Amino acid sequence: MEKAHKPKKVFVQGPISPDFVAKSIASHQSKTGIGAHAIFLGQIRADQKEGGAVTGIDYTAYEEMAEQAFHDIREAAFAKFELTCMHIYHSLGLVPTGEISLFVFVSSPHRRAAFEASEYIVEEIKANVPIFGKELVGEAGQHVWKENT
Amino acid sequence: MSFQVKYFGMLAEIAGLSDEVWNAAGGLTVGQFRAQMLDKYPAMRDKKFKIAVNQKISEDFVLIETPAEIALLPPFAGG
Repeated sequence: MEKAHKPKKVFVQGPISPDFVAKSIASHQSKTGIGAHAIFLGQIRADQKEGGAVTGIDYTAYEEMAEQAFHDIREAAFAKFELTCMHIYHSLGLVPTGEISLFVFVSSPHRRAAFEASEYIVEEIKANVPIFGKELVGEAGQHVWKENT
Repeated sequence: MSFQVKYFGMLAEIAGLSDEVWNAAGGLTVGQFRAQMLDKYPAMRDKKFKIAVNQKISEDFVLIETPAEIALLPPFAGG
């Protein structure tokens, strides 16, 4: 039987810093069974909308349901792929264009599982986690609601 | 019966609030609740959303049993 994985805190306030990503990588140097890390970083894109360019996304979530959804995704990924460990972080609040709002970090003995798990996890997050994004547009304070496709 | 309703994203914007207590006479299915809600907030009629009952996305035939937390979820935008 697989060991149960404790629910982990996923949400962070504001952007995810490159420094945090670097420290996360460094903290795995003692886990010498790992041969492959795959990292996915979601970055806020300056899409052009009526009224100007996107300057940032203000994220909100149905937090209790989202935490459970993240937990279910973690459990499913551990069951499907040969993973040593997995970390998922997602921003809440304002993330300016060019900054990081999603950090998925999976580690495995071998590359194939790491590649496949990272893609699986990102797609599951986009489809199944109740997170909402208000795209701030232009200088006049307009906004549009983002929708994953 | 009464239960808690939470609104998110553009739906909170339309409702002008993020949660409220919903009072209804007698039992309600999710579909009946949806109809009442659209009467109260007609601007939601052309919006896509799902309804979660106690954090599970639910079909219209499901009977709401109190205590319940109902959430109106517009399209997801994580990532």
